[in-house]
Amino acid sequence: MLKKLLSATALVALTTPAFAGGHLSWEQMTEKAQNEEGEVTWFVWYFEDRFREFTQQFTDATGIKVIIPDGDHSTNIDKMIAESGRETGDIDVLAYGVDMLPTIDNALFMSLANLPEDAGRISDLVGIDGGDVALAYWGNQTGIAYDPAKIADEDLPQTPEDFAAFWTANPGAMGFNYENGGSGPSFYMNILRTLSDVDFNDGETSPEKLAGIDGGIAFFNEHAENYEITASNADSLTRLSNGEFTMVAAWEDHMAGLQNIGEIRDDLKFYIPEMGMFGGGNYVSIPKNAPHPAAAQLFVDWLTSAEVQTMFNQQFGTAPMHAEADDSAALVSNAMRERQMPWAKKPFRDAVEERFIEDVIQER
Amino acid sequence: MIALHQLNRGLMIALILICALWLAIPFTYAVLWSLVDPAEPWTPDNLLPPVMSFYRWEFAWQNSLLQPALLNSYTLAPTAAVMTLILATPTAFALGRYDFPGKETAKLVALLPLVVPGFVTAIFFTSLLYQLGLAQYRFFAILLAHCILFLPFAIRILTVSFEQVRQDHIDAARDLGAHPFARFQVAYWPALKPGVMATLLIVFIQSIEEFAIAYIVGQPGFVTVPTLLYSSLGQDFNRPNAAVLSLILLVPNVILMLILERFLKSANPALASGKG
Amino acid sequence: MRLGRTATILLLLTPGIGLIVFFIGAVIYIAIAQSFGYYNLLGESGYSLEFWETLTGRKAYARSVRYSLYVGFWSAILSVALAYPLALWLRKPFTGSLTVSAILKAPLLVHGIVAAFLFLNVISFHGILNQFMVWTGIFDEPRRLQNDDNAIGLLFLQVWKNMPFALLLLTGAVQAISDDVLHAAQDLGAGAWARFRKVIAPLSVSAMQAALIIIFIGALADFTFQTTIGPTNRQSLAQYMTFFKERGRWNDAAVVGVTLMALSLVGAIVLAAAARLIFRGRLR
Repeated sequence: MLKKLLSATALVALTTPAFAGGHLSWEQMTEKAQNEEGEVTWFVWYFEDRFREFTQQFTDATGIKVIIPDGDHSTNIDKMIAESGRETGDIDVLAYGVDMLPTIDNALFMSLANLPEDAGRISDLVGIDGGDVALAYWGNQTGIAYDPAKIADEDLPQTPEDFAAFWTANPGAMGFNYENGGSGPSFYMNILRTLSDVDFNDGETSPEKLAGIDGGIAFFNEHAENYEITASNADSLTRLSNGEFTMVAAWEDHMAGLQNIGEIRDDLKFYIPEMGMFGGGNYVSIPKNAPHPAAAQLFVDWLTSAEVQTMFNQQFGTAPMHAEADDSAALVSNAMRERQMPWAKKPFRDAVEERFIEDVIQER
Repeated sequence: MIALHQLNRGLMIALILICALWLAIPFTYAVLWSLVDPAEPWTPDNLLPPVMSFYRWEFAWQNSLLQPALLNSYTLAPTAAVMTLILATPTAFALGRYDFPGKETAKLVALLPLVVPGFVTAIFFTSLLYQLGLAQYRFFAILLAHCILFLPFAIRILTVSFEQVRQDHIDAARDLGAHPFARFQVAYWPALKPGVMATLLIVFIQSIEEFAIAYIVGQPGFVTVPTLLYSSLGQDFNRPNAAVLSLILLVPNVILMLILERFLKSANPALASGKG
Repeated sequence: MRLGRTATILLLLTPGIGLIVFFIGAVIYIAIAQSFGYYNLLGESGYSLEFWETLTGRKAYARSVRYSLYVGFWSAILSVALAYPLALWLRKPFTGSLTVSAILKAPLLVHGIVAAFLFLNVISFHGILNQFMVWTGIFDEPRRLQNDDNAIGLLFLQVWKNMPFALLLLTGAVQAISDDVLHAAQDLGAGAWARFRKVIAPLSVSAMQAALIIIFIGALADFTFQTTIGPTNRQSLAQYMTFFKERGRWNDAAVVGVTLMALSLVGAIVLAAAARLIFRGRLR
């Protein structure tokens, strides 16, 4: 018993300095990151190729190599949770959508309190408080991408009734996805939300609550002939750009990002309908067992700085996640951004998705 | 006879024409897509991309995971091929040289990995790895899974080879006082060689192509050629970048095909019939 | 001595068949156990029929079973049906036959995903196929051909990818049939179809069975083709299983996984038996 206790104390004593980097000043941390660690592994589930190019600036400035593996959103998070028992994991910095934070045990993350004071950083997005473990680095918004050559701004549908009228008048001219990306789900969920009085902001789910969206389900089935289901976020935008559609559900940042690399036409436009669509952003956190904790903190500091957030806005069309960043390159005006709705809460959201697949998609 | 000759010629021209259409058109498209410059997208109203450059090629080589994917796949596949051969040989020896009750059942059981779909194996193998806390050893996990998945091919082919080893050759070699190694060399090796080569080649190709295990077990962080292709060509593809990757990865495939063709000519029966 | 021999054989079988039994056995065991509520990664474990009951009541489940069977069955049948005439044609070497066989086998080494991607480019709304059809006047306007509801595009790609494999298996079997047998049948006045039905097919039935089964199982469990070019209003079983796995719902994934295994086994047996029954007139 005594032996066990002793070894346990020894273990605590040994491991404490590892994640109590707080004893180091920021200069010491920088020194450690550059001289001892020299690299940082960032797990992010989209635009990996372009982030590899973008983070070269961080490497040029600090000499710290940034490694970005390919991986899905959910598998990245699963990996972090699965290896939380190991003393040293593989992940230095983990990116994830804000709505995932409540589903992850926050005790697995290191405190970010040691980062230099910067009041402009954002750690509370769409009502999900990141506390001192998560910082927003990416702001995004779902909405409708449209081809201005085919529809005038004043004719854009704003409510479920408008959409129904548009579908009836222009069969097959609008498409959205129900899997492989969140833009389509945001679209149909906001229609369902507007057509019911169910609280989508409350994650609780029950058969009675799910029955509350019956009206919206009937709405989609009634007009099934006149809208198209696409394969993914990217499929929607590619087909819009090629002239197959007039409107598709899309992500603002995804669309701007594709326009900037010449993948889709840059005369396409984007709006958020008055009924509102989901928006939010992504957080980064550092797992407690990060192999390069000092470099990870340096990287997060850089990623969430006003300069990088301004560059993200210019190159990827994100909503900047820093109070002092410039957001002039965004696709929507700040007035329109008022229409942002917070994402429906899980597990109710999962239940709605499953019901939509079962009662709308399977009926097609 | 002349009619047959003409028929063959006609059929062949038709076939080559169809294949040219099937191969040439899509690949021309791919080449054009890969040359689209970021300055201007290529929309259907233009016959050719408005601005062309090699930007995508440089970008893909520098910023995609192409290099680690090639390294991983071409380390994994030969290792899996050799390991599968080593694992299969004793079993094939037993099945090919001994008679014992239950031999037919054993041969059937050896086909089990072919009956369980790859995705089922992948998902529940991952589940098993998580339960055992071994999920971080991705390379070895995938290697092991590949060996087991492709054992049926190896066992089948090698069993046939061992059956073809002639007992009188072994006896003759022994009677002449040959050492075990010399006996192996003269009596076993000539019969085994095509089978061994076929096994190595088949496992190699299967492993290079395998997607389910590499995707489910390897995610995130371990990338092979098929998983890289899926992440850049699958559901969320970026057409120009995907075109570049497709074209680059054709090169090893064409080389492999040349080897396979050469090889099939020499080892056709053992490979083609697949009968035990 | 007998004991020693048994021990030797068992020892020899261990690294091959032993490993297979252990590994695949574990996979099957975990899948079945998880489908009944055991081995939960999170939360409580315990016997429960709940997962089977809810899932089998779903339209999505029933549809996914029917759809995967459809894809598996037609991929296998069409690939083999197309491979036979080609195998017969290439039975005897002729000038250029090597080139032909190389071209036919090319798809074996083109990654399925690459093929799907190239195919998508060709059939897209403004792709070359649509433009050609509009130009010739067959279509009045471009049509939506990608992700078609009947999975025609998907079946086309499945056959494209699998036919060479069937060809590889059948060529060997067909080449093993001696000319004498074929000439004898011809002399007795058998037409081309009768020769195939009565001589060629019965003599190559094991290769045919192998091709049918392997293609059937592969197509039944298809994931990559389905997610890129398959219909968007239904999911294949592998896709459905991944859908659950991504949401951490291992028990539901297990129900689909067990279904998939059962269907592979039953489907394989049915196809093998049918081929034998049709072409040999008996089961054994």
